[in-house]
Amino acid sequence: MFLHCFRYELTTAVREKSVLFWLVIFPAVLALLMNAAFSSIYDKTSKFSTIPVAVVENSTDLLFRSVMDAFEDNEEPLLKATYTTEEEALGMLERKEVKGIIYTGRTLTLSLADTGVEETVLRTFTDQYVVSSAVISDLIKQDPAMAQKAGEAMSAELDICREEPLTKGNTDPFVQYFYNLIAMVAIYGSILGLQISINNQADLSPLAARKACSPVSKTVGVAASLAAAWLVESVCIVLFVTFVRFVLGVELGGDLRLIYLSSILGGMAGVSIGFFIGSSNRFSNEVKFGVSMAVNMTLCFFSGLMASSIKLVIEEKAPWFNRINPPAVISNSLYYLNVDDDLHRYAPAIAALAAMTLLFSVAGAVFSRRKRYASL
Amino acid sequence: MEKTVVKTQNLVKRYGDLIALDHLELDIKEGEIFGLLGPNGSGKTTAINCILSLLAFDKGTIEIFGKKMTPASFDIKKEIGVIMQNVAVFEELTVQENIDYFCGLYIRDKAQRKQCVEDAIKFVGLEDFRKFYPKKLSGGLLRRLNIACGIAHKPKLIILDEPTVAVDPQSRNRILEGIEELNRAGATVIYTSHYMEEVEQICTRIAIIDKGHKIAEGTKDELKSMIFNTETVNIEILDLPDEVRKEIDSLPHISGTDYEDGRLTVKCSGGSHNLIRILDVLRGRDLAFGRVTSELPTLNDVFLEITGKALRDKEE
Repeated sequence: MFLHCFRYELTTAVREKSVLFWLVIFPAVLALLMNAAFSSIYDKTSKFSTIPVAVVENSTDLLFRSVMDAFEDNEEPLLKATYTTEEEALGMLERKEVKGIIYTGRTLTLSLADTGVEETVLRTFTDQYVVSSAVISDLIKQDPAMAQKAGEAMSAELDICREEPLTKGNTDPFVQYFYNLIAMVAIYGSILGLQISINNQADLSPLAARKACSPVSKTVGVAASLAAAWLVESVCIVLFVTFVRFVLGVELGGDLRLIYLSSILGGMAGVSIGFFIGSSNRFSNEVKFGVSMAVNMTLCFFSGLMASSIKLVIEEKAPWFNRINPPAVISNSLYYLNVDDDLHRYAPAIAALAAMTLLFSVAGAVFSRRKRYASL
Repeated sequence: MEKTVVKTQNLVKRYGDLIALDHLELDIKEGEIFGLLGPNGSGKTTAINCILSLLAFDKGTIEIFGKKMTPASFDIKKEIGVIMQNVAVFEELTVQENIDYFCGLYIRDKAQRKQCVEDAIKFVGLEDFRKFYPKKLSGGLLRRLNIACGIAHKPKLIILDEPTVAVDPQSRNRILEGIEELNRAGATVIYTSHYMEEVEQICTRIAIIDKGHKIAEGTKDELKSMIFNTETVNIEILDLPDEVRKEIDSLPHISGTDYEDGRLTVKCSGGSHNLIRILDVLRGRDLAFGRVTSELPTLNDVFLEITGKALRDKEE
């Protein structure tokens, strides 16, 4: 009997167009837009690329030359120097072919035409070079053969001007928005959960009334509906994560299998929450849907979907809320996978999602257990 | 002795201060088409929902097939087919899938179920629509699907709660014929409606309820015999002298006459051949008359006489 009910519950859930829209199309479009918006910002602000610079040698500076040569040995050098005349260098700066002009001579000077991250890196580089070169120059005067070694050492030192990540994961701050989006898809599983209560409580729909007249126990009917909804939600969220990771090319960080696990468990928790909301009150179906959407959006808001700083504020003021807010738990679990080398923070988050799924499913089932209704 | 299929005793259901069922007593026998007739809001659907154990009630007992009915009475539910007032099917399943789903809640054996589904499709005449989704069906076809979902498992007791609401005449006739066919095949039927013509047409026994209380019960003839006026004769006649009217008034079983705008209305209470006797009087006086009609009382007349109000709103 379970399999019979499961088969048809699955068929109806798959054919339900609103499910396709809210769990597949809507998030995919949102992800597409977010990716288009954030990838360009990230490229501009965060992603490192070699900075082109013109060098005008007023006098030969061996140390500077060896530093620049050492840079070029790197796969992704901090600077790419073009040695040229001042006139040509100014032209290149005007045409924005270079970010600045370094003048060598008695001291190193820098000429910039703009402000920005790359210009700041150039300024930091020249300032640091001037300080370090004074010490090293004295050593070279004593032993000119030291110039190359000193240059390599200095190059390595100056290379820290480049921002180095603290983790092996994706350091793009905007990836957090995709975690929140995955959390949103998971929590939207509540639409399926809500439908379970509507289709299984005789006071909510004629369909449920007809089911209640059949010789199938409420427990079997609800279990089949929940299992089908969990499966549909899991497939939807796996498709979404796959779309984000492989179609949009967003590096989510961490083991992909564990990312899928988080997402699936989050989706199951979302279904269970919707089932609980649908079963636990006597509101009309329309009000239930409204309440469910309001709860979802509020939880997503507090998890940082609309403004990432909210979650940080909550972490500071009421950290316990971030441990029980399902979307926050989902996005945090993905974040932990990205930044942590082990699973010491991920595992409790996953356990919390499993516990939520169980808790809300059981509570929803208790509310909708076999009963006679006061009114239909 | 006929077996009792459904028995309610002293059934009371209140919604706050409103008494929806007022000590309702029903005793429905095997093989009957039992009609529950009453105006909208009289308590018909509430009674059905209580019988099906969907609705909690305040007082009384309900027995089906001799056993107490509870929400967990799965052995009883297995033998019941329900067709609710509102269409209850999955929008996302085809006609065949819907019937198969509901039939599968009662019958586990696949081969038996397949045969039952086929029979149900043929029974309601949806052979050409088996792959259609419900939203593609007309109102009448949708009602037929609703019925097929309720009877596919061949239940012993079929409960139909206003199954012909908003149905075209052709589908309505087909539904009513179908109910009679199911009854002939052995099913006991409980049929609720506020359409007295339908109840008169198919029900073998009728209970009239008003304000949750059973006000009359019996066969349609038994119910009609309960009222004083048993026949109304209408005669178009241009001129009716007072002495002729008095002569008609004095005939046996005539309870009253009315003459207005060339139309004579004669109310009869019992007796037979009343019309012939009235026409004999007119012919004896050489009075020319036009169209003559004789109306037998309807269940609405029964309801009107007992409660003082019409069974159905005029606009219906």
